[in-house]
Amino acid sequence: MIGVEHAWIIPAIPLGSFIILALLHNVLPRKGDWLGVLAILTSFALVWFVVADAFTNYPDHLPGRESLEWIEAGRFRVDLGIHVDEVAIVMLIVVTTVALMVNIYSTGYMQERHGLTAEEQRRLLPATAAAHGGHGDTHGDAGHVESSGHHETASAVPEPRYGWFFAVLSLFAFAMLTLVLADNLLLMFAAWELVGVCSFFLIGFYWERRSAAEAAKKAFITTRIGDVGMLIGIIMLWKATGTFHIQTVLHAAETGQIGHTYLVISALFLLMGPIGKSAQVPLHVWLPDAMEGPTPVSALIHAATMVVAGVYLVARMLPLFEAADLLRVILTMGMITAVFASIVALAQTDLKKVIAYSTLSNLGIMMVALGAGSVTAAMFHLMTHAFFKACLFLGAGSVIHATHTQEMGPLGGLWKKMPITGTTFIIAALANAGIIPLAGFWSKDEILHSIDSHAGVVWFVIALVWVVLSGMYTARLVGYTFLGKPRDQHIYSHAHESPFAMTLPLIILGALSIVAGFPILHEVGNSLGLPGGISEFLLTPGEHAEEFHFNVGLATAGTLSALLGMFITGFLMASPGRMARFTAAIPGPYNLVKNKFYFDEMYQWLIDRVILVVAYGVAWFDRHVVNDTGVDGFSSLLNYTGFRLKFAQTGKIPNYALAIVIGVLTLAVIAFSTNS
Amino acid sequence: MDNLNQSGYWLLAVWLVPLLTALVMVFIPSRFAGVIRGLAGVSGVVMFALSLYIFIGYQVGEGNIQFEKSWVWMENAGILGPGGISLHMGVDGIAAPMVLLTGIVIMAGNVVSWKIQFRNKDFYILLLVLVSGVFGTFVALDMFFFFFMYELAVIPMYLLIAVWGSTRKEYGAMKLTVMLVAASVLIFVGMFAVYTKAGIGSFDLVRLWAVAQTPNGPMDPQFQKIFFPFMVIGCGVLGALWPFHTWSPDGHMAAPTAVSMLHAGVLMKLGAFGIIRLGIQLFPEGAEFWMPGLMVLGTINAVYGSFSALAQRDFKQMIGYSSVSHMGYVMMGLATMNLVGINGAVLQMFAHGVMTALFFAMVGGLYDQAHTREMAVFGGLAGKMPKFSIFFMIAGLSGVGLPAMAGFVAEFNIFVGLFRSYPLFGVLAVLSAATSAAYVFRMFAIVFFGRFNTRWSGLRDIQKTEVFAGTVLAASILFMGVLPKPFTDRISPSVLALPGVIDPTADTPQTAETPNSDHNYDLRPERRRHDAIGWSA
Repeated sequence: MIGVEHAWIIPAIPLGSFIILALLHNVLPRKGDWLGVLAILTSFALVWFVVADAFTNYPDHLPGRESLEWIEAGRFRVDLGIHVDEVAIVMLIVVTTVALMVNIYSTGYMQERHGLTAEEQRRLLPATAAAHGGHGDTHGDAGHVESSGHHETASAVPEPRYGWFFAVLSLFAFAMLTLVLADNLLLMFAAWELVGVCSFFLIGFYWERRSAAEAAKKAFITTRIGDVGMLIGIIMLWKATGTFHIQTVLHAAETGQIGHTYLVISALFLLMGPIGKSAQVPLHVWLPDAMEGPTPVSALIHAATMVVAGVYLVARMLPLFEAADLLRVILTMGMITAVFASIVALAQTDLKKVIAYSTLSNLGIMMVALGAGSVTAAMFHLMTHAFFKACLFLGAGSVIHATHTQEMGPLGGLWKKMPITGTTFIIAALANAGIIPLAGFWSKDEILHSIDSHAGVVWFVIALVWVVLSGMYTARLVGYTFLGKPRDQHIYSHAHESPFAMTLPLIILGALSIVAGFPILHEVGNSLGLPGGISEFLLTPGEHAEEFHFNVGLATAGTLSALLGMFITGFLMASPGRMARFTAAIPGPYNLVKNKFYFDEMYQWLIDRVILVVAYGVAWFDRHVVNDTGVDGFSSLLNYTGFRLKFAQTGKIPNYALAIVIGVLTLAVIAFSTNS
Repeated sequence: MDNLNQSGYWLLAVWLVPLLTALVMVFIPSRFAGVIRGLAGVSGVVMFALSLYIFIGYQVGEGNIQFEKSWVWMENAGILGPGGISLHMGVDGIAAPMVLLTGIVIMAGNVVSWKIQFRNKDFYILLLVLVSGVFGTFVALDMFFFFFMYELAVIPMYLLIAVWGSTRKEYGAMKLTVMLVAASVLIFVGMFAVYTKAGIGSFDLVRLWAVAQTPNGPMDPQFQKIFFPFMVIGCGVLGALWPFHTWSPDGHMAAPTAVSMLHAGVLMKLGAFGIIRLGIQLFPEGAEFWMPGLMVLGTINAVYGSFSALAQRDFKQMIGYSSVSHMGYVMMGLATMNLVGINGAVLQMFAHGVMTALFFAMVGGLYDQAHTREMAVFGGLAGKMPKFSIFFMIAGLSGVGLPAMAGFVAEFNIFVGLFRSYPLFGVLAVLSAATSAAYVFRMFAIVFFGRFNTRWSGLRDIQKTEVFAGTVLAASILFMGVLPKPFTDRISPSVLALPGVIDPTADTPQTAETPNSDHNYDLRPERRRHDAIGWSA
């Protein structure tokens, strides 16, 4: 029987799979994709054993613990261990479910390479004739999109790094599950960095593309900036408490054993990690670019799991942030991210970028929930969001697979061609908008409730605006892709439904997007063995116990806001050209939004004009001042001195005799003067 | 010690194997290049095996000197008293990992150098003499032989670079040698000052340490404060201490592959090792007085080195500056004078050693084919040279301090030590870790990713010798990253035995066991005292 304390096996299995795949993927049949799927399937199954054990005599078996000594030096001791509590269990379910879906999906999607440029195609598949003619001419409303070169249609090329992809997916699963289970901040940080590296490799998976290489680098360095802050925070907390163990640190913070100012500073540093990883403004810039990675990666890492690590960390450490009085900061930061991202999502034309900004916006609202002090709402939304957002991304991948483009401009009307993808995508999109009774509705309702009761009416109104915006971009996303008339007949005629390996995960995730919200209801919760529903299950110690009650007013407000947003977009899209006229009428704001508020440009300026200038300055100083002037200068000085002195060596006896006389006289004078 | 398992003859052997191999090589006609290669390979494996034996055989626990053995060389003559100069060998928990590091790097270096065609016999003879000097320095417990070995390690470098090097090799070799020898003069002066002042008529380091640590002994605080900088700057130059680091980038750029590997991988560690042996242990009072100064220089090293690396265009120069930056961490760790910080410094010596050796081994594999090290002319090498890229990335990720790599364990210990004693320097150190991510990942993006430049379509992936070297070094990186315990268990008791080193956790509340129930926290002592600089609670 596998108990909660054996949960460490769950990450260990993908690690084993990674090692085998990394070394042997070229000799295994099918490049070992089955091994990756099998490993995550085993982990997925084990999670349910852990869940079963957790529910036996609930909550006696929680939290499950296990640890081993890693470093011991004098009295400085670091243990690595796991801590399985309710929040971790929900995360385990989310991570293994989505990872399993993505692994299965990838066996179909990753067989061939998507979105190649003509040049890449020539190199990877010399036999292929030049790609067929460009994309269509009827771009419709979203037509003011400059189709960049690499989104041109292209015929399929087998993926040359298929096995490596599954190896990194396994490594990622290991790292992410370790992050979830970690009982101390150091192990969590280690896993945190590892998922970052997996993300780097997967964003840069198509590294032949300069843009992918740049995006991978940007993602790593941006999150790294957050991570070093986080490391400072972790070490500061260690300094105050002498331990990295999360529960002990929390206890120390709650009982006031850490001075307040010190606590605030260390908590702010710690918060930098989540800001980077969960892509909160201003460190959000890497996430939209991360869409350069293969689409299954976007679903797994950049929607459902890795990016929510920050939310998870804050949720776990919430008592600390509460003790440091930082909840309002988290709330504000989250709300800025949420509203900012949903506005930017309105003007993006790349299918995946829209979904990416939608992810950003949802991450923001999870932070808002945490800022309102509700771990329950945040974690619940994290779960439902993981399912519907993964479904959206995988659906987008299916579209890319079928059409070889991810610009929304030439798409349209695909629902008819791709019924399964279209249906699941629309379900997930409606869940994202928060339409009753889909999963997203329940979790958004919880968040709205927590904002309403803990943050105040102003924040509640802003949250409603956010819901409206979510409805707007969701409707635009679906409208341009699956509804309406096809804008490019060529693409439309070639579009086809994806293979079963890809539609199966879509169906499962689509189903989860419908039902994942129900456990909040007491009746459903009871039947699942969660008395009081999932919200009570997720309740962390210290949180105010609040039972879920269906609040009709709140539900109506949320749903109506979402419908309003969808209606606005629908109105603009209903007649051809209306959207274009609308955007042309407000060029200033439109360009600001379309260019993502120029964040990238600001950072580029900062890098080019400040950091690189400093670097070149230091290098110049080192070369010319320290080396050429200091070191070589000293050497030249010696050389010159020697050169000058050599003229004293005249070879003429009278000169030497004179020198001797002068020397003797000088010595005599010194001797006499010191004697007297 | 009579016990054969821990006999000092093991240390004598590890010192003599390279010397004797070199001696044998002298008598092999140089036309038998294959025999010479084979001999070099075998001696590399033997050295590795011996060093591994010494590392494993070092008994964990007390941090004392083990494998100790002494042969008197000269005594009761002139100024020398009884036991004046003796070949006194032994390792403590700090030297043991260094010996292992040397064994690993020389095995890899010897194999990588098989491809040298030009006068390979002479090359190996010099390389082996150099390594013998390195082993000798790490195990010497006599100040005279310490210095002797130290010089033995530095001098062959001149010829190795000037004859077999590349890019501005005469300049690089000259600068390196002159700077290091000039620094040795400082050590020399310090050495005789100690000898005279201690007045025991012996160069035996163990006895001198005892004298230095005697309260109110002959080596008074004033004397220690004056002569500590001699030793630290003397050794620090070899450790690339700012502003005496400029030999490092130029020297590395000029040096042939195996020499770069040994030099950056091991020789620079001699500098830091010298700071421990001749600085901290010989001048405890001086160390206490001067360590904040070393902290400042180390911080400059770390930050300045990483920014310089960001601006470099040449592979080896970039790695050279990254070495400057990483050695800065070592200096900072040493300057903390607390257990965790110095532990971290020693761990970093090992971690940086294997990492940078791996870097140079790979760069060598590329340079020999491409004959340029300009990063910008490459691109998309990950597809063309996958093995090369994987090894290079492992080294890079370790340098960035990625968990599960050696660099993380080391840097993390240093950071903890720094925050304990010098929090603001700790912040600077951690920030420079972000810069190191920038230069490493920038290099990844430029060199390995992006469009492949067809100019390099003739490149082949690295050869078997380089794969061997890479595997050994990468395995070391991963081993230490995942299981640092064998290292810390050896290092920390010896570090704690150093004079003036405090256990930083001694006054922090201890969490004996993790609490058994989530909701019942363990009862812990009262709030801890904040004695260090920084924000007090």
